Amino acid sequence: MDRELRLVGISRSFGDHVALDDVSFTVRPGRTTGFVGANGAGKTTAMRIILGVLAPDAGRVELGGEPLTLPVRARFGYMPEERGLYPKMKVADQLIYLGRVHGLDLATARRNTEALLAELGLADRADDVLHTLSLGNQQRVQVAAALVHDPILLVLDEPFSGLDPIAVDAMGALLRERAAAGVPVLFSSHQLELVERVCDDVVIIDHGRVVAAGEAQELRAARAGRRYRVRVARDGGAPLDAAALAAAVPGATVVDGGNGAAVVDLGTDGDEQALVAAALAQGALRELTPVVPTLAEIFREVVR
Amino acid sequence: MSGQVSGAVSRAWPTVSVVAGREIAVKLRDKAFIFTTVFMLLLVTAATVLPVLLTQRVPDVRVAVQGDAAVEVVELAARLGAEEQETSAPQSPADLLVLTGLPAANISWVTVEPGVDVDRILEQEDVSAALLGDELTSLQLVSLREVPSELNTLVTAASAELQAAEAAARSGLTAEEFAAITQPTAPAVELLEPREEGTIPPEFIALVFAFLFYLSVLTFGMSIAQSVVEEKQSRVVELLVAAMPVRWLLAGKVLGNTIMAVGQVAVIVGAGLVGAVVAGQSALVGQLAASSGWFVLFFLLGFVMLSCLWAVGGSLASRVEELSSTTAVMQILVIVPFFAAVMPIDEGTRQVLSYVPFTAPLLMPARIVHDGVAAWEPVVAAVLVLATAVGLVLLGARLYAGSVLHTSGRLKAAQAWRGVA
Repeated sequence: MDRELRLVGISRSFGDHVALDDVSFTVRPGRTTGFVGANGAGKTTAMRIILGVLAPDAGRVELGGEPLTLPVRARFGYMPEERGLYPKMKVADQLIYLGRVHGLDLATARRNTEALLAELGLADRADDVLHTLSLGNQQRVQVAAALVHDPILLVLDEPFSGLDPIAVDAMGALLRERAAAGVPVLFSSHQLELVERVCDDVVIIDHGRVVAAGEAQELRAARAGRRYRVRVARDGGAPLDAAALAAAVPGATVVDGGNGAAVVDLGTDGDEQALVAAALAQGALRELTPVVPTLAEIFREVVR
Repeated sequence: MSGQVSGAVSRAWPTVSVVAGREIAVKLRDKAFIFTTVFMLLLVTAATVLPVLLTQRVPDVRVAVQGDAAVEVVELAARLGAEEQETSAPQSPADLLVLTGLPAANISWVTVEPGVDVDRILEQEDVSAALLGDELTSLQLVSLREVPSELNTLVTAASAELQAAEAAARSGLTAEEFAAITQPTAPAVELLEPREEGTIPPEFIALVFAFLFYLSVLTFGMSIAQSVVEEKQSRVVELLVAAMPVRWLLAGKVLGNTIMAVGQVAVIVGAGLVGAVVAGQSALVGQLAASSGWFVLFFLLGFVMLSCLWAVGGSLASRVEELSSTTAVMQILVIVPFFAAVMPIDEGTRQVLSYVPFTAPLLMPARIVHDGVAAWEPVVAAVLVLATAVGLVLLGARLYAGSVLHTSGRLKAAQAWRGVA
C-alpha cells in the first residue's frame, strides 16, 4: 500500500480540442492534493483518465511505479463531478452493490456499508430509497459510494461543490483522515480558499497544461518573492506616502497603497534595508512583514 | 503481464454476476413485470382449462312446440343432438377450431295447444325458443332475442332430413335408395403419419412460440434499454465504468435479463403444461416437451442476439423519453420476424427466412415441427444465429462503450462508433 500515483506525459484531444497536453504530476500517499484550474482546464478529463473511464492518447498512469491494471483500478474510489446513484434503489442496497462491483464479497460489502452509514450519520436511512433523502444526505451517500470498498486511492471531482459550510468542514476532515490513513487523495476544486485550507499539495492546470505543482506552502513561499507590507505611524496622523516610499528604493513598485499601509514589491534587486530606511524617514515603523501570496493570487498570476 | 490478465479475467465473472443479480432484483420488484407475469399466467391457465370445460358442457335447450310438423322436427332434432353427445367425446382445445358436423345438445320441449299465444309463452315460460307450424315447408322458429345456435342448426338439419324423406317417398324411392342420397358413403380417410390422438396442430405450437418470443424480446429488450438509459440519466454509469470494463456491464445486463426472460417463459409454459395435465391432456404435454428443445435453443440465441442491440438503443438515448426513437430499429427487428412466422407465406420464402439470423429463431423451429427438416438444417441456422449474436455483442459493446458516457443528448450510431465522449 502507500504507493504514489504518477501521471506521465498524458495527452488527450477531443477532435480538434486539446484537453490535456503532456500532463505530468504526482499524488503522494498520506497527503491531500488539490487539483486546481479554471472551468474547462482539463481537470475532469485528467481524473477520468486516472480512473480508466477515458483512455489517454499518449502517456501513462502509474501507481507505485507500475502501470494500472483492472484489479488495481477497481480499488480506486471515485466521486464524479456529475453526481449520480440509482434514485430508486435503497441507500444500503446501492452501497453494497457498488462495493461488490468493486470486488468486495457480500459480507464485507455489508459490513463496510453499515460502518460507513453509521460514520456519516445515515444509519437510520439505510433502508430508504435514495431520492427520498435530502440533497445534503444524497451527497453523503455519494461520498460513501467512493469509500465503501476501502479504496487505495481517492479521486474526487469537485467534492465541495454544493455543500454548506458545516458539510465543507466535514468533507475536509474526511479527506484529511483518509490521507492520514496512507491513501493518496486527489480532489479538484475552484474554491481556492478551500483548497488552501485542506490540501497539502497543489497541482494547477491551465488549458490542459500543468503550470504549477508541488507543496502548497513551498509554492506560496517560492512565489512570495520580495514583497513587503509596511505600516508607519507619522506625526500628526498623516497617511503613509506609498509613492514616496517606493521612490526611495531603487526597483521597488507599489502593489497596494491604501489603508495606511503599503504593499511594496522590491523586484529582483531592491534592498530591504533601503526600504526600512525609507519607512523610518516617514515616521515610526510599526510593521514590516514579508507577504506570502494566497493560492488564489498565485492562481490568478499563473493562469493569466 | 500474465498476472494482470488472469486477475482481470478472474474478476470478470463475479462482477458480471453481481450486475446480473441487480438486474434480476430490480425486475422482481417491478410492479409492471409482476403484473404482466400474473396476467400471462391467468391467460395461459384460462386458455388451457376453459376450452376443455366448454367442450364438456352440453347445452340444455328448452323449446315450446306448436303444430304437428313442429313436433316431428323437434323430436328428430333432439335425437340428433343426443347422438352427437355419444360420438363426440371432448377433445383437445385445438379441436374446437376445426369442429364440423352437428353440435351436441340436450333438447327438451313442451307442446303448446293450438291457439295459445306463443309470444306470451316465450315471455313467461322458461323456453329459449318456439317452433311453430303444421307443414314442414312453413315452419317458424321464434325467439325473443336470439335463437341458440345449436338449436338452430339441429332444427334445420332435422327439417331438411324430414323434407328429403317426404320427397323421396313421393317419388317412390326405397329406403336404401333414400339413404344413398342423404347419407352417401364418404371416402375412407387414411393417414400415413397420423397425429397422435389429443394433440394440437404444429401451427398452433409455432404460433404460441412466436408470440412468447415476441413478447419476451419486446418487454425484456425494452427493460435492458431502460436500465441502460437510467444509469446514463442518473449519471451512476460513470461510477460503474470506473469500476469495470463496459463489456462486463453490458454482459451482466444481458445475462440478468436473459435469465428473467427464460424464467418468465418457463413459468408461463409450465403453468400451461400443468393446466393441460390437470385438464387430462398428458398427450399434449408429451408432444410439447418433445418439440421444445429447438425452441428453447433458438429462443436463447435469438434473445441474446437482440438484447445487445437493445442495450445499444438504450445507450444512444440520454433520457428515458428518447428511448422510443432510439429503439425503433429494434422494434422492427422484432415485429417483422414475428409476422413472418405467423403469416402464411410460401414454402420457398419460409425456407430462406429460416436461415436469416433475425427470422431464424422463429421460423426454423416452426419448420422443424411443421414441415420436418433435414438434421443439419437447424444446426446451420443455429450457427448462423450464434455467429450473428457474437458479432452483435461485439458491435453492441463498442457502440455502448462509445456512447455510454455521453450524457447530454441523443447520439447517432456513427458517433457512438467513433466514441464521442
